[in-house]
Amino acid sequence: MSSAFPSRPGALVLALALVWGLGCERETRRFREVPPTATPGSALRLSSINPGPAVPDSTIRSTYAENAYAVSEGKRLFTQFNCVGCHAQGGGAIGPPLMDDEWIYGAQLENIFATIVQGRPNGMPAFGTRLATSQVWQLAAYVRSMSGLLRKDVAPGRADAMQAKAQEQATTEQRPEESTTPPQAERP
Amino acid sequence: MIQFPGEHSAHAPASSQAVLLDRLGEQLYGIGAVVFVLVVGALLAAAFRPRAAAEDVEDPTRERRMAAIVAAAAGATVATLIAVLFLSFGTGRELTGTPPPDAIQIRVTGRQWFWDVEYRDSLPSRWATTANEIHVPVGRPVVFQLRSTDVIHGFWVPSLGVKRDMIPGQETSVWFRADTPGVYRGQCAEFCGYQHAKMAFTVVAEPPDRFAAWLDRQRDTARTPTDSLTRHGQDVFLASTCVMCHAIGGTPAGSRVGPNLTHLAGRRTIAAGTLPNTRGHLAGWIVDPQQIKPGAHMPPNALAPGELQALLAYLESLE
Amino acid sequence: MARVPHVAVAALFVAIACSSSDAGRSRSASVGATASLPEADTSSPVRDSAGRFDAGQWVMSAGDYANTRFSSLNEITTENIRGLKVAWTFSTGVLRGQEAAPIVVGSTMYLVTPFPNILHALDLANPGATRWSFKPGPLNAAQGVACCDVVNRGAAYADGRVFFNTLDNHTIAVDAGNGKEIWRTKLGDIHRGETMTMAPLVVKGKVLVGNSGGEFGVRGWMTALDAATGRIVWRAYSTGPDAEVLLGDRFKPFYPADRERDLGVQSWPGDAWKVGGGNVWGFVSYDPDLDLIYYGTANPGPWNPEVRPGDNKWTSSVFARDPDDGQGLWAYQWSPHDLYDHDGINENVLLDLEWKGAPRKLLLHAERNGYVYVLDRATGEVLSAEPFHHITAYRGVDLRTGRVQVVPEKEPKSGVVVRMICPAAPGAKDWQPMSWSPRTRLLYIPHQNLCMDFEAAEANYIAGTPYVGANVKYYAGPGGHRGELSAWDPLAAREVWTIKERFPVWSGTLATGGDVVFYGTMDGYFKAVHARTGAELWRFKTGSGIIGQPITYRGPDGKQYVAILAGVGGWSGAIVAAGLDPRDSTAGTGFANAMRDLPQYTTKGGTLYVFGLP
Repeated sequence: MSSAFPSRPGALVLALALVWGLGCERETRRFREVPPTATPGSALRLSSINPGPAVPDSTIRSTYAENAYAVSEGKRLFTQFNCVGCHAQGGGAIGPPLMDDEWIYGAQLENIFATIVQGRPNGMPAFGTRLATSQVWQLAAYVRSMSGLLRKDVAPGRADAMQAKAQEQATTEQRPEESTTPPQAERP
Repeated sequence: MIQFPGEHSAHAPASSQAVLLDRLGEQLYGIGAVVFVLVVGALLAAAFRPRAAAEDVEDPTRERRMAAIVAAAAGATVATLIAVLFLSFGTGRELTGTPPPDAIQIRVTGRQWFWDVEYRDSLPSRWATTANEIHVPVGRPVVFQLRSTDVIHGFWVPSLGVKRDMIPGQETSVWFRADTPGVYRGQCAEFCGYQHAKMAFTVVAEPPDRFAAWLDRQRDTARTPTDSLTRHGQDVFLASTCVMCHAIGGTPAGSRVGPNLTHLAGRRTIAAGTLPNTRGHLAGWIVDPQQIKPGAHMPPNALAPGELQALLAYLESLE
Repeated sequence: MARVPHVAVAALFVAIACSSSDAGRSRSASVGATASLPEADTSSPVRDSAGRFDAGQWVMSAGDYANTRFSSLNEITTENIRGLKVAWTFSTGVLRGQEAAPIVVGSTMYLVTPFPNILHALDLANPGATRWSFKPGPLNAAQGVACCDVVNRGAAYADGRVFFNTLDNHTIAVDAGNGKEIWRTKLGDIHRGETMTMAPLVVKGKVLVGNSGGEFGVRGWMTALDAATGRIVWRAYSTGPDAEVLLGDRFKPFYPADRERDLGVQSWPGDAWKVGGGNVWGFVSYDPDLDLIYYGTANPGPWNPEVRPGDNKWTSSVFARDPDDGQGLWAYQWSPHDLYDHDGINENVLLDLEWKGAPRKLLLHAERNGYVYVLDRATGEVLSAEPFHHITAYRGVDLRTGRVQVVPEKEPKSGVVVRMICPAAPGAKDWQPMSWSPRTRLLYIPHQNLCMDFEAAEANYIAGTPYVGANVKYYAGPGGHRGELSAWDPLAAREVWTIKERFPVWSGTLATGGDVVFYGTMDGYFKAVHARTGAELWRFKTGSGIIGQPITYRGPDGKQYVAILAGVGGWSGAIVAAGLDPRDSTAGTGFANAMRDLPQYTTKGGTLYVFGLP
């Protein structure tokens, strides 16, 4: 080999460090950490306009959306707490689909958190008093994975159940559409 | 170090099956000991044999004698192995025989990381559901139908001689007849995740009349609260996160995510054999289960002190 | 004025009194006390001189107490129907599934929209004009606990009042003339997942209503309300102890296995009957001679059968009750320990026919499980049960015990996907009502051709959330078509003709004296076929898929009109009405998989179409 390459042992150490670093956050299991509550303010918004100069969308990264364990817990809770009864595996039934790009009440993790905790007027129950905050974040992270918005190595793989849809890992990303709340004319 | 109830040794058999297994084990041990002594003896003899003179090496008589000895040893080995095979086969046949028709049917579902237990009956209204503690009558066969809803678990009670995997999507079964009354500890025997080590259960073998009384109580719905503190405790239970996972018969709580709590107060341990069932341990478990069993599916529950006391009073009243 | 003999006057009174209690046999619907005319309606009398509603009206969803959905009106015939045209239309303003049957009393038509359950009164003399609209204002959150679109199956009329149910469990009585609310009674709780969608029936001054919620662990019941005051007269639950199911000394089921006490508790584990389902969301029939009402109960909860061992009485059953006090006379369970969400609520058509040479009072029922049942409606005996569609899940009905025989290989198991279960959960026929023509002596059964894969999963009862425990997906059965309209001869137990349709025929059928059968398709065609041969005579493309119930009436101008609501939705059309995503084949509780192409054929709608000859 030419002298332009780093030494063989050095390259090996570098490769191992990369592998360790990339897998670290994804697999960390935090069982007793106090989770953030969804704070109002600029991080939580349902309208894309604001007075004065435009404020960019929040760029809060959440440990929940980058943690494979949290997302898989969200998937378990999604079935056990009967979300699947109204939303199916993302296709919707009594409730709207969660696997497409239409988000009535906001697509950011904090918006989904608020929707689960507060409920919504046309039939989404308010789970706020019934779920631990960490469970709500886990569910919100899983909901985002249904439309392919999470990293491929964080989203769940093939389920051990009837194959109703492509696994979340293999779901193509669908950027949330703006302005998908039904306009006045279509209100039920 | 917390001392937990229950005999947990395969060398302390308490059922007919366990006795058979223990006996087979002793027989194999005995045969093995004899073989061991002979082999070690032969090895030592070979190692400390006086060095033969050069002219003795090619003695044909000696060769023939050695060949005979080797052939005899090989034959003895084969004979021993066949004998062991028959012993093992015979024991296996006894263990897997069809259970008698009067056996009690219990369905156990392994879940991360506890045990759902259902006592079946020909009349559906006489089914009983409990968790983590199984009572059986002495002298009567019990058949377990084993299954799992998430990953593979293993149903193992060493003193009662049963061990069988619980595989999602299949139903396996195993049976035994407890001969000695007592409390026996069971343990999950197939690695099933973070808290596999703390997934234990208790089997209580008791006289048939005590068992019948216990089973009748399990069939009942939960005791209705009689005083204001336990009533408040029931309100706390129904108003907080508990109802998402736990069922208490006779109340609107009917979820199966976590263990059934209808007769919680009658159990010897909580959290699948992890803690003794005392008020203090229960309080600690409710408030911060992740401290005791990190990774368990029960989240921490911050309750106001008055609410916690009322809830404990209510749960302790669920005999 | 000439003096009228006292005897003649007395005879007239007696004649009126006798004929008002004589109602119900053919297709009239008398309700005892004298009817008052709707206000401002002077066009045609509600009752004829004999005290009966005449054939030109349609005062209850089923047309008549016997649920025949047959009209003797014969102005529209197989010859002239080619000229049938739209007479007028009316937009309901609501774009969800329109399952209702409009009702016509005098010259007013009353129809109920899906949520928010607006009751419109339309003036038939000024076609399309609204006399009044009544907005009950049901709770928005009720939409979150309605399993199968936010539908409503229609109103009922009696004594100058219109009765209907709202999704959030109110039964409301409104003055038929001016639209003012007379009374409103709250009967259930959406926090438990309970809703109401069915069309009430008024019998002897009592409004009979039932609840929905079998997918939410709601305990089913039928309630009788006093038509004048709205107070509860009696309530019969579908599960639980005999005292609550109203089974007492008069209860004499035909089959010995059904005669034990408290079967509504004994056939369930623990207290599972409290969340056991057995809801009453279908149509009610009434026999004035025997003075019995008949109705079916829905599926047991949850769908996962492993969690509820036992026969799960009295879900998926039919009850015969005394309308005065609700006491049960007999009951029969179509599907004991139902495995497939085969609700038993399909309509019961009451006919007096000759059975094996002797006249018999029959009850005809095309059930979800794929069999057409003929029962003796006096005793509850199953006289015949023949398959009217492809079945893999059952082997037949044993007439000795009355019990349907399940195929063990098709039983759902936790963690295992059982495939090719036919009929699928919506059954061979769901709620969509069939009709009977006494002229052809055929039943016109609208139904579907679907099979399913079923995986039982864990079911956790959390009040107000679905209690199902199953992953399911449906697909077309043998032949590839998903719907059919069949003409069935119940006495010979054979199909006479059938029409295959691309989509499930989720609308009801209407049979007329002109030998025409009307029905609608989910891609929006309202069709008329020859009752004897099934030949298509006429079709019209409406604005949206049709899942409603067609009716016919005589307008104020004396001409015959046919009315149908168009607006796709319901369980089968939710992919359009609720915008579901078929990439998940379990969406819509399995239906979206079978209806992936529906959005290409129809969009949402909510319009009433009235057709007549020019």
